[in-house]
Amino acid sequence: MKPGLSGERSLEHPIIWIAVIAGALGSILLLKAVAWLAFPLILAVVLYYLVQPLLQRLQLAGVTPGQALGIFLGAATILTLIFSLTILPSMLNSLADFQNQIPTYWDRLQGVLRDNLLALESRFSFAKKAGLANSLQEQLNLFLAGSGKEYIADVALFLLHWLPSLLLVPFLTFFFLRDGTAFHRLVLRAVPNAFFEKTLLLFDRMDNQMRAYFRGMFGLTMLDTVSLGLGLWFLGHGPGIFGFWDAMFLGLICAIFAWVPYIGSGLGGILAVATVAVKAPSSSGLMVAVVLLFLGVRLLDEFIYTPMTVGRALRMHPLITVMMIFSGGMLGGVYGLLLAMPLLGIFTVLGQMFAEIWFDPRLRARYQARGLLEKRLASKDLGI
Amino acid sequence: MNLLGLFRPPPMDPLLQVVSGVPIFRDCNRAELEALKLHLHERNFLAGEIVFDEGEDGEGMYVVIRGKLRANRKGILTKKSLGVIQAGESFGEMALLGAGPRMATVVAEEDTTVLAMFRPELVALAQARPRLGYKIAMGVALVLESRLRRFADGQSTEPSAT
Repeated sequence: MKPGLSGERSLEHPIIWIAVIAGALGSILLLKAVAWLAFPLILAVVLYYLVQPLLQRLQLAGVTPGQALGIFLGAATILTLIFSLTILPSMLNSLADFQNQIPTYWDRLQGVLRDNLLALESRFSFAKKAGLANSLQEQLNLFLAGSGKEYIADVALFLLHWLPSLLLVPFLTFFFLRDGTAFHRLVLRAVPNAFFEKTLLLFDRMDNQMRAYFRGMFGLTMLDTVSLGLGLWFLGHGPGIFGFWDAMFLGLICAIFAWVPYIGSGLGGILAVATVAVKAPSSSGLMVAVVLLFLGVRLLDEFIYTPMTVGRALRMHPLITVMMIFSGGMLGGVYGLLLAMPLLGIFTVLGQMFAEIWFDPRLRARYQARGLLEKRLASKDLGI
Repeated sequence: MNLLGLFRPPPMDPLLQVVSGVPIFRDCNRAELEALKLHLHERNFLAGEIVFDEGEDGEGMYVVIRGKLRANRKGILTKKSLGVIQAGESFGEMALLGAGPRMATVVAEEDTTVLAMFRPELVALAQARPRLGYKIAMGVALVLESRLRRFADGQSTEPSAT
């Protein structure tokens, strides 16, 4: 018998939609409350979905699942050792250099902002009346003297707080890869017979949705990194602003910012322009070129990269997307911004499947019939 | 003490022994059956309980471990019994080929234990182990072929039970 409502139609029910949004926002709050565990857990899930195809390829080559996991762990350990011995020391040196340069960069950034505001003041009288350049200078000084120090201390504490929990990531990923199937079976044992096949389908859809999303996001991040990195390198290597790896690193950071739909790309663009402003304060033409580069990559993202990688499976109405991102950001800060859309995707599938099961009168009747059979069996010798 | 006994593999899981006797999995070796075991879901049905309904989207197949079930198909006026499914037999194999509607309603005639195999899980397993995938696909094809032959010979009134 056909379900009472199809997957798409079931979501037309307003209660389901409200429940989907409430579930996504509620889980953001929950994840924020247990962020020390949720953060490594989410990273482990992402790693699980990224590593799984490698293990499947190894299995295709004829090794058992256990051997495939062993080979992967061995290779990961060797690569980590090589990274720690070769690339990590030079990265730490670069980081130390960058730390020493922060005051210079900060002065330059202030100078660029001040110069531009003064130019604005000389051209428009309302800007001069507002005293934009002076008020900005005052605000920045106040920030540095007061809340800035606290803010920097908060960020440092935040990072210190997170480092130990990050050690959980490889541990959790290993167990997901090793025992994921067994855990899946254990959960399914609790499902009543009447809903069993539908629930299996729900798990499968959710698994596919998460796999497609995380793998797609990984692919999209790589494509964005390469496009932005090459573009920044092409624009900046002549004036000596960016080396190849500097440009790629900045491209990677901007690509990670772009995980937050609509807003992230803009923030990445501002970061790149600020970097150019700091490194070459006098080259305003280059800043315009960087803005154009970001607009170009945004178009590539929209029309080529996203359909190629993430697809349009998680595409929601732009209004819902923006509302979810802002609500997520308000409730869960950075987590909320990053997790709002994937969680909405997962809860949409859950909502669809719940509606399919719950609004199917035949499945509910079968479930109730099972209850009656159990009752009859239990009271057989009682003569009721 | 028999030292040679140490090198003997441990006895096979009783559930897998039943699975190994089902025509679809008859050609699978022990390692393949062990891999399959991770994707088997044991379900218990009470006498009178429905396993699946005719017309419902099929998502997987079942192997009977213990008990007895009956397959029924709606006729124009009355319900028609297609036969009894005993321990060691399988049903619902058509769902392995695609998510089409079930061709019969299957009801437990007595308290029954079955092993359920879900199509997407079996497909993923077959992709990871193509040799096993080939054996299962051939097994399903042979079961359907034998049912079609019985139907053509007039021994069965339906080309497929479920």
